[in-house]
Amino acid sequence: MAGDQTEVLRGTLDLLILKTLSLQPLHGLGLARRISQVTDGTFEVKPGSLFPALHRMEQKGWIEGSWGESENNRRAKFYRLTARGRRQLGEEKENWLQVALAIGKVLEAT
Amino acid sequence: MWVWLKSILRSVLRKTELDRELDEELNSYVAMLADEKIRAGVTPDEAMRQARIELGGAEQVKEKVRERRLGAGLDTLLQDIRFALRTLRRDVGLTLAILVILAVGIGANTALFTTVDSVLMRPLPYPDPGRLVIGLKTMNGEVAGPVSRVDYFDYRDGVDAFEELALLTTFTQQFTITGGGNAELVQGYYATWNLFSALGVTPEAGPGFSADEENQRRAAVVVISHGYAQRRFGRAEDALGATLVLDGEALTVAGVMPSGFRLMYDADVWRLIDRDGPNDARRDSHSHWVVGRLKPGATLERAQAEADAVAASLATRFPDSDGGKGLRLIRLQDYLVRNVRTSLLLLMGTAVFVLLVACSNVAGLLLARGERRLSEMAMRTALGAPRRRLVRQLLTESVTLAVGAGVLAVAVAYVAHRLLIGLLPVGELGIHPPAVNGPALTFAVLVSVATGLVVGVLPALRSTSTGPASQLRGDGHGAVGVQSSRLRSALVILQVAMSVVLLVGTGLLGHSLARLVGVDLGFDPSNLLTGQIQIQMTEYPTPEERTAFFTSVPEEVEALPGVESATLSNRFPIVSRWPDWSIHPSDQPPPPPQETFTAMARWVPPAYFRTMGIPLLEGRDISREDDRGAPNVVVVSRTVVETLFGDADPLGRMVNIGDWRDCFVVGVVGDARINTLRGSPDPAFYLSMAQIGPTQLQIAVRTGGDPALLIRPLQDLLRRKNPDVLFAQPQAMSSAVAGELSGFRTILLSLTLFAGLALFLAAMGIYGVLAYNVSQRQSEMGLRLALGASDGGLVTLVVRRGMGLVVLGLAVGLAAAYPATLAMQHLVYETALLDPTAYVGAAVLLGVVSLLASYGPARRASRRDAAELLRTA
Repeated sequence: MAGDQTEVLRGTLDLLILKTLSLQPLHGLGLARRISQVTDGTFEVKPGSLFPALHRMEQKGWIEGSWGESENNRRAKFYRLTARGRRQLGEEKENWLQVALAIGKVLEAT
Repeated sequence: MWVWLKSILRSVLRKTELDRELDEELNSYVAMLADEKIRAGVTPDEAMRQARIELGGAEQVKEKVRERRLGAGLDTLLQDIRFALRTLRRDVGLTLAILVILAVGIGANTALFTTVDSVLMRPLPYPDPGRLVIGLKTMNGEVAGPVSRVDYFDYRDGVDAFEELALLTTFTQQFTITGGGNAELVQGYYATWNLFSALGVTPEAGPGFSADEENQRRAAVVVISHGYAQRRFGRAEDALGATLVLDGEALTVAGVMPSGFRLMYDADVWRLIDRDGPNDARRDSHSHWVVGRLKPGATLERAQAEADAVAASLATRFPDSDGGKGLRLIRLQDYLVRNVRTSLLLLMGTAVFVLLVACSNVAGLLLARGERRLSEMAMRTALGAPRRRLVRQLLTESVTLAVGAGVLAVAVAYVAHRLLIGLLPVGELGIHPPAVNGPALTFAVLVSVATGLVVGVLPALRSTSTGPASQLRGDGHGAVGVQSSRLRSALVILQVAMSVVLLVGTGLLGHSLARLVGVDLGFDPSNLLTGQIQIQMTEYPTPEERTAFFTSVPEEVEALPGVESATLSNRFPIVSRWPDWSIHPSDQPPPPPQETFTAMARWVPPAYFRTMGIPLLEGRDISREDDRGAPNVVVVSRTVVETLFGDADPLGRMVNIGDWRDCFVVGVVGDARINTLRGSPDPAFYLSMAQIGPTQLQIAVRTGGDPALLIRPLQDLLRRKNPDVLFAQPQAMSSAVAGELSGFRTILLSLTLFAGLALFLAAMGIYGVLAYNVSQRQSEMGLRLALGASDGGLVTLVVRRGMGLVVLGLAVGLAAAYPATLAMQHLVYETALLDPTAYVGAAVLLGVVSLLASYGPARRASRRDAAELLRTA
């Protein structure tokens, strides 16, 4: 991987996607751009991991895709969070905060 | 759960739709990416190119998405199966060959599994059958047959481990039922009152026998079968309490057994054994089976220990009759299947052998096909397919094939199973031949899948083992080719070896059958019609009247056209067996019970031996003068003389028979086989019919032509003579003899089929390997021809290679045959297990067949033109 771009941490991609979609429905490219933008380019989500994740999450019923028009009048598939997905987001957030807290404690230990 | 299931279904069923949507989504992604770049000032074409690169290969992304989908594994499996079916369709001949080979292999196994399952594993048709036990008499620790009725009552009182201990006679008996229309003959036997409750079966109507009836003297009760109740009374309820006249005795029907109830023999009536009945009234007379039900939780060992204690106490109290005697308890199921167990397990074993031969044959075929597909595999590897994926694909192919064969196999099994169960002597078990059922189908499926994996794994690993580069470069006949053809040769050796074992086994049984068919019966069974004649005691009350009637029968029968002679006996050989009575010289004390010599007891009119073709060796035949007024006489067979008198002259000596009567020995005849074809001839003694005066005899008629043609005239004659005389069970002696051998013939037939199949498969294997070998060595052959090798030389070259495999296989097979045929020890008859005929026969047959199989490819190699061979190679 080149430069300051980091592969999304294993296991956190779902969380990033769920959180981002909880703010507004987005299509694939829009989602990738938003994650990159919010993280100041730290996370670049490649299509090779983005699409498999989206399709798997859709099959699990966390998100739901529907076809619509993009800002440039292109036909695109927009993903929106479902109620089930919102619950999942809550759980994943909880988990992540616990992990982050734990790692923080380890790092601060003297 | 539901969402998950729906998703799987969706991804499998609506796969094309999902794929199209994914396609569209990726297109729109690329288009929007390109839009961004165009806005940043890149030219449209360049923008599109960069966008595609950033996507990183649409196919890879799609594949990744598909892999991540739920139910992806199932989807890949379906895809593999579709692909497998396409591949298999491309090679119809090979596919069909494999299907047929495997179907026969799996089918034979399924049929035998079903039979083994229903005969050996299926519980007896009584509640909680595991607690049922049969008891047999032992003499000095050896099982010695039936039990004495008097001893039985001691065991019943002394063994606490039994919930019920019952007794039944070891034979069925024919009862004449008279009154209310036609007289009829029915089969039945005697049993203690608790037989039905010991088996756990209650009568469908009525109480059955009761405990206190046992203490009465000949309680006038009878229990009848469901079938007989229907035939005679219409309904079971109507039969209850009705009166039946059995052999002139009026009995009340106390119970009707439910339909399908039977134990050991077919019976329509059951009579009660009472404490003082006439059968086995002494401890040294044995003609009953003991059948018991263990108490819940009681073990067989405990029951046996208690029985041993009773036996020990009997032996001290009654040393004359019970010294050395005991009771051996065996699980009823084990006892009932004892005769068929060996045969069935042997057949099961051979069927497994055939499946192994079939598997190795198919593995060989798949290896050969794998070689032809090496470049296909290489191409797919080059295009990025991992080896794991290719192996999986190839295994899917072989399993698909095997499962297809499994479906065919069920049809094969259905037919074969019906045949088997019809031919096996399993009637005694009282189980109805079941159809090919659930367990059998499960078995077929499991075996099919296992077979598919077994035959597929070697070829799959082998044909995916090279790097694509060397394969695509064209040096494809390199290491893999050599290794696979070595493997195939090894498989052929295996097939040859297994065929040899099967052939040797078949040879041994074939030889035994020839011995059995050619066995000297000691009498002439040809053109002999036998049947049973019964008269009523009420009509012929004195022995003289009965003797007069029976004396007149052969005389009148001999007057019928087509009859050469006719005679009577209480029991004719082979069509009926036993009983044996003790016999010892009257001037010596009777030997102790363990050493009692017994011989088959027969009573016959004059000229019996002439009609039967039994040679009179010394003295005279029974004569007309040997009637009730004259001294009792007996004619004995040679073994009896040798045992009782050694070399001394037996004529005029007096012998005691059955502790009952002393008779003068007037003649000596040859021994005849009476009970069975196997084993040694049975010693016998023949009393004068006129000195017995029986009500029931069998008749044998020696005819000029087909004995069956005389059944009607004989029936008519007896009916004219006396309409109340019963004539039953007409049967040609030759068919009774053949019937004795039918079980053996079945086994031999199955084994012959299996061995033939294995031989055929092995021949196919040899042919396949050689044909491939020849095709690989075309240029070498061409060179040899060009350098002046003769056609014959080339043929020899190829045949020699084939024979090399065969000789190795033969060596392995002949070495393995002895240990393998040890299982048949009980089946072979007067044939050594190392019978040279069987071994040489197997080797020669296999040699000839493999020569033929090798000759084909060899001939083809030599027919070609040298120039043509060199050019095509």
